[in-house]
Amino acid sequence: MELVDRYIHAVTQKLPSKAREEIGKELRGLIDDMLEERAQGDQITDQHIEDVLLELGDPRELALKYRDDKKYFIGPTLFDPFVIVLKVTLISVFVIMGTGFIIKMILYPPEILDAFIHFILDIVTVVPMAVGWIVLSFALVEILIPDGIKKKQVDRGDRWHPADLPEIPHPKGRIKKGEVIAGIICYMILIALCSSKFLGIWLFEDGHFKAVIPFFNPNFYGYQLIFILLIFGVGIIKEALKLVFGKWTIKLVIITAVVNVLSIIGLLIFISLPDIWNPEFMKALVENGLLIEGSETYVTVNNFWNGITLFLTILFPIALIWDIVDGLIRVQRSKY
Amino acid sequence: MSEIKEHLEKLNHELKRGTLTIAVLSQLKEPQYGYSLVTSLEEKDFPVEANTLYPLLRRLEKQGLLESKWDTNETRPRKYYLLSKTGEKVFEQLVIEWKKMVMSMGNLLNNGEGEENGTSR
Repeated sequence: MELVDRYIHAVTQKLPSKAREEIGKELRGLIDDMLEERAQGDQITDQHIEDVLLELGDPRELALKYRDDKKYFIGPTLFDPFVIVLKVTLISVFVIMGTGFIIKMILYPPEILDAFIHFILDIVTVVPMAVGWIVLSFALVEILIPDGIKKKQVDRGDRWHPADLPEIPHPKGRIKKGEVIAGIICYMILIALCSSKFLGIWLFEDGHFKAVIPFFNPNFYGYQLIFILLIFGVGIIKEALKLVFGKWTIKLVIITAVVNVLSIIGLLIFISLPDIWNPEFMKALVENGLLIEGSETYVTVNNFWNGITLFLTILFPIALIWDIVDGLIRVQRSKY
Repeated sequence: MSEIKEHLEKLNHELKRGTLTIAVLSQLKEPQYGYSLVTSLEEKDFPVEANTLYPLLRRLEKQGLLESKWDTNETRPRKYYLLSKTGEKVFEQLVIEWKKMVMSMGNLLNNGEGEENGTSR
């Protein structure tokens, strides 16, 4: 009878604990009945037991039949976006780290082995972290959202009408997945590059890298990150939205517009803060012999340097407004 | 030939799975426990494997079509299943649907009899 106990255990251990005891009891009754019938009044032999268990089949399959509810960590509705996010993130991580590695290789050629070891170490730590966070976020969404989505589907199913069918997007209004992903990766690389300590003028001495004259004020290191996120982070949000919508619609344009206006306001507030730019920038250029004070080039560079805030204040809103106009044009075009 | 057999097996399996619920419901106007249902269905030429029937009974109970009660008076405790009120009504409707289906299938198959392979589809 030991085999029977083992069989029942094998089936029930895979079932929810609430049902375990009762199913075990019922199964034991079944097996006893089957054995009794096989033995037909004689002593029950090991052979009988084996036959009965073989008839009931693989305990894993039986357990599966008992639990008909399919449980997902990340279900079919979320799987596609999950794969896209995972791909984009992993590609970005590799490209950014690869770029960092190459920059280090150029700047400090003698320390190439060290740089390589760091590169590998970073990948080993960052990749599982990134994957972990993505899986965790999607799993949370899976736990929190499904009921709502299912409900929506049922509601829609009841009242569905052919007129509800979305129009086939016009080729001009269609958003290509590849382009969006490439866009997101570009933004991520820009963020990584701009937030690195190497954003500035590189100084070389005897063909070797010496130092950087940073564009941003080194005393306000956190500030520049906000600045960069305002410019490029918003870009990532917009690209992600495009991916969700799949085609240009008025709704997408409106959301894009709202995001753009918010980032323009943010940028203006940010720029009005003093000292985001490196106050020693011009001085450092002169001190390192790149410019001679009072020369014509100096004046040009100085004008540009002083006007950079104004320049960005004008350029950035223009770019974002163009972005909205472009979206509207695409929506219009795709109607005909 | 084995390909045909494979198809047949698969389709037959699906056919049986679709009719299993109605067969089980039909037998539970009187309370029965799982194994007695296995044997009685087998006697009536509708063999069902216990490892399919037991999970099905449980699922039908969960859905509210069946009620169950443990009988602990006998030599070994047995779980008896019986149609619930809802189950009875559902079964009634299901029988009507089934009869309609048998009729229309009969029509379809009879019409096709003139053709060579009409019935062996």
